[in-house]
Amino acid sequence: MYRRLFVLCLGLSLLFVLPAAAQDTTTIRYFTFSAAPDHLEDLDTIITAFETENPSINVEVETAAFADYFTLLQAGVASGDAPDVFELNYENFVTYAANDTLLDLSSILDADAPFYPRALQAFQYEGQQMALPATFSTVLLFYNSDLFDQAGLDYPTADWTWDDAIAAAQTIRALGTDTWGLFSPTQFWEFYKKAAQNGECSFFNEDMTEATINSPACVSTLETMVGFMNDDLMPTAAELSGVSDSELFLSGKLGMLVTGIWMFGAFQEASFTWDVQIEPAINQHAHHFFANGVAVSATTEHAEAAAAWATYLAASETAATVRVDSAWELPALNEPAYFEAYLSQTPPANRAAVFTALESPVTPPVIERQNEMQDAVNALLTQVVDGELTAQAALDQAKTELDALIN
Amino acid sequence: MNQSNVVRTDRLPAVDPAAVAPRTLRLSYIVRIGLMGVIVALMVLPFVWMLSTSLKAQQYILTTPPQWIPNPLTFESYTGLAERINLGRTFFNSLFVAVVGTMGQIVISAMSAYAFARLDWRGRNTVFLLYLVTMMIPAVVMVIPQFILVRALGWMNTYAALIVPGLFSAFGTFLLRQAFLAIPKDFEEAALVDGANHFTIFWRIIMPLALPSLATLGVFSFMGYWNNYLYPLFVARQEAVVTLPIALATLQAGPRALTEWNMVMAGSVITVLPILVAYLLAQRWFVSGAISSGIKG
Amino acid sequence: MLVAWNSGFQRWKWVAFFLLPGLVGLSLFVLYPILSSFWLAFQDWNLLSPPEFVGLGNFQELLGDGDFWRALRYTLTFIVLYVPIVFVLGLALALFLNQKIPGMLLVRASSFLPVVASWVVVSLIWKWIFNPAYGLINYALGIFGVQGPAWLFEPQTAVYAMVITSVWKDVGYIALLYLGGLQNISESYYEAARIDGANHWRLLRHITLPLLTPTMFFVAITLLINYFQMFEQVWLMPMRDSAADRQVEVIVTEVVKNAFSYNRMGYASAMSWVLFALIFAITIFQLRLQKRWVYYESE
Repeated sequence: MYRRLFVLCLGLSLLFVLPAAAQDTTTIRYFTFSAAPDHLEDLDTIITAFETENPSINVEVETAAFADYFTLLQAGVASGDAPDVFELNYENFVTYAANDTLLDLSSILDADAPFYPRALQAFQYEGQQMALPATFSTVLLFYNSDLFDQAGLDYPTADWTWDDAIAAAQTIRALGTDTWGLFSPTQFWEFYKKAAQNGECSFFNEDMTEATINSPACVSTLETMVGFMNDDLMPTAAELSGVSDSELFLSGKLGMLVTGIWMFGAFQEASFTWDVQIEPAINQHAHHFFANGVAVSATTEHAEAAAAWATYLAASETAATVRVDSAWELPALNEPAYFEAYLSQTPPANRAAVFTALESPVTPPVIERQNEMQDAVNALLTQVVDGELTAQAALDQAKTELDALIN
Repeated sequence: MNQSNVVRTDRLPAVDPAAVAPRTLRLSYIVRIGLMGVIVALMVLPFVWMLSTSLKAQQYILTTPPQWIPNPLTFESYTGLAERINLGRTFFNSLFVAVVGTMGQIVISAMSAYAFARLDWRGRNTVFLLYLVTMMIPAVVMVIPQFILVRALGWMNTYAALIVPGLFSAFGTFLLRQAFLAIPKDFEEAALVDGANHFTIFWRIIMPLALPSLATLGVFSFMGYWNNYLYPLFVARQEAVVTLPIALATLQAGPRALTEWNMVMAGSVITVLPILVAYLLAQRWFVSGAISSGIKG
Repeated sequence: MLVAWNSGFQRWKWVAFFLLPGLVGLSLFVLYPILSSFWLAFQDWNLLSPPEFVGLGNFQELLGDGDFWRALRYTLTFIVLYVPIVFVLGLALALFLNQKIPGMLLVRASSFLPVVASWVVVSLIWKWIFNPAYGLINYALGIFGVQGPAWLFEPQTAVYAMVITSVWKDVGYIALLYLGGLQNISESYYEAARIDGANHWRLLRHITLPLLTPTMFFVAITLLINYFQMFEQVWLMPMRDSAADRQVEVIVTEVVKNAFSYNRMGYASAMSWVLFALIFAITIFQLRLQKRWVYYESE
């Protein structure tokens, strides 16, 4: 009898050992801001597919609102507890790379992965691939077709310049006191893009040793932008009174709006016809290239698993199709097949403009003290809008402040 | 306060105390009622506005002139809210943390206050000054060090992280110390004669007499835990422990979407209600609580 | 205090029993973070890399930092506008609330309502009330034919709007503190004076106010300590991207910006310690001054 008991115990203990041996799962933590609150299920779909292909890896998701995300991420790094894989937008990438918090992904980068070259470049630091591009988005000219019809105007075309846009805006503005012509605010992101459209204005010189934001070309660009408000084509913040530019567009009272393609979903409920076009040019075209990347922490204990997840999220067909189908930003992959479904949805009818815009991309100027630069520039731009400073004076001041920030 | 005159009381006209009540402003009855109404209206109307907005449908929020009574009246913001964030769980988390934290804070503050108010020991005033000094530092700078500490203790995403650090409040100790100081020593002296020790005095005499101040501290403490945002943001990231203010903050979409103000207001209504209940419960003791913490320097 | 168990070791046992739990917790969760922040004030730390010692560098930078001085100016402006208003209004409200009229309990309860709501909720509501196009205030002004300003968009008017909102939110609390003091005043003083035939204004001036000075002192100190650290209204109320948003800052909003937006933990810590020094100095000054104007019954 004791022998039977002994064998039973042995058998039972084996039962404990075997699963333990099979349980070689690594758990990696993934921190993201773009998934919450609307795309958690989509992320789950991608994770399930990944875990099926990689049964020994388990992905745990943490989310935060964008406003808090970077504070939390930094606190995590500071306390030695950074997530294994995390999302980074382009503007913050440089800071993280410069502080040695990212794992070099150059060796795991699959040369066949169909990333847009520009997107790959965006996430390189000192020649090394420190993160993979996961998604991109851009900014286009949205217009209210009904208002254009009402004003008897032709719709914006791909060869429009800002002069054409201003003329159209004036006609639309004349339709009524609460109908506005266009909306393109005077702030940091719009300014560097218009600077690129001007072609001769750039915030910094080539080797980033000096700020060149007060060059004559920049001053004239700024004056054009401020002109939108001064010529009464665009409402001031007080005239908007807390209504956002998107809400104004949705209410049918705005002729043209410069905003991002992420608004396609929200604008579906518009009660009027609308469409998009590439942004007008000054001397040339330039469009925002916003990219979110996925990076691996330099201090991760599961480098292989983390890198595998990062690559899957950025480059796999599953991830790409899930994103496109749910309108959750666009994968930074040069595979037209993925985008067929996207292109055939309407409104807007002219979705092809998204990819045309990609032919003239511009990324923001990025320095380590990024937020301070943005705040400083925005503060000075506001003063120009309010008439407290001339464009020249403001940009001279900006140069002084920016020079201090890069040294 | 010397009165040198001798007054002949038989010559005085009958004085109506209310008419010469010195601690009040003497006004005619109607004006008084009117003023009461104005004060109530001023204090309450903004909250009525909040409630009204929460019951409106999305498209009726921005109207001129401002619309007081929602038409149509709808609960869609509340149902939408419940869907968007896990309302049940977050509400429970906030409530649990606030209730346990409040009780803990009261006990610990009371005990510390007793040590300052009723025990005599060397260094007492210096240590008390130390407590006061901690109230002069902006709490925001403590958040990151506290976060690192809590993480080192292994308390990330636990109720402990949300409750424990807040238990040690200099404000609570200060408030209760003042209250205890105002209690006359006679009760204690009688008890001492009967052979009571400090704990008995504390538990059976001081605490019951200080009930109003305890209620006051309870309300402030509950408010502190309930509304806390910055610190919980760092330590409570998983849905199991996330609290209400953090969940509600996700409603205020960034520049990439449209904020649904009726839902934001609905969230605000839900946030204010429990504190209101706590306050109404403590109301009975409230004003007398402020009295006993009555400031004797 | 009497009795044998109060001597020597016994006494310290009691002190330990009552004080230690709170003191240990305070040391760990409050004092230690405060000391950390003091140490951080002499470092340069962006959270991503280890801290770097910079000695007095942060403080030197503060001296020349225009944003800091502007924040200090706005903080002082708020205090100069807000404190006298709420100090006097709180007293008036307390005197009013102190009457035994049916229904006064409702008025007392409702005046405390703004105090219990969080600033997040209060700022949301009042942002709407101050909205230039859709808000109640400009609508009411419009009825009188007055064009209301763009309250929370312009720096100057934003300050007024924030002061009004702060007064609304806090006056109930201040009134409560005064009420406590009022009800502490012994009835016998009034009776004696009434017998002398004093009218109620005399009573107010010669009895109530002097005996209320300890409470007033507490209120003054509390207000100053709290409002030098004011934060939420300035962080939440100005309309996004407006001139008010860019220009109106107080010291603690600068601290938060530097700590969490610019990742300059060391600099932010240095700033908070300068603020602390300021608050401490003013509090000590108030304590010295109290001998001149505060009347303590026990003296």
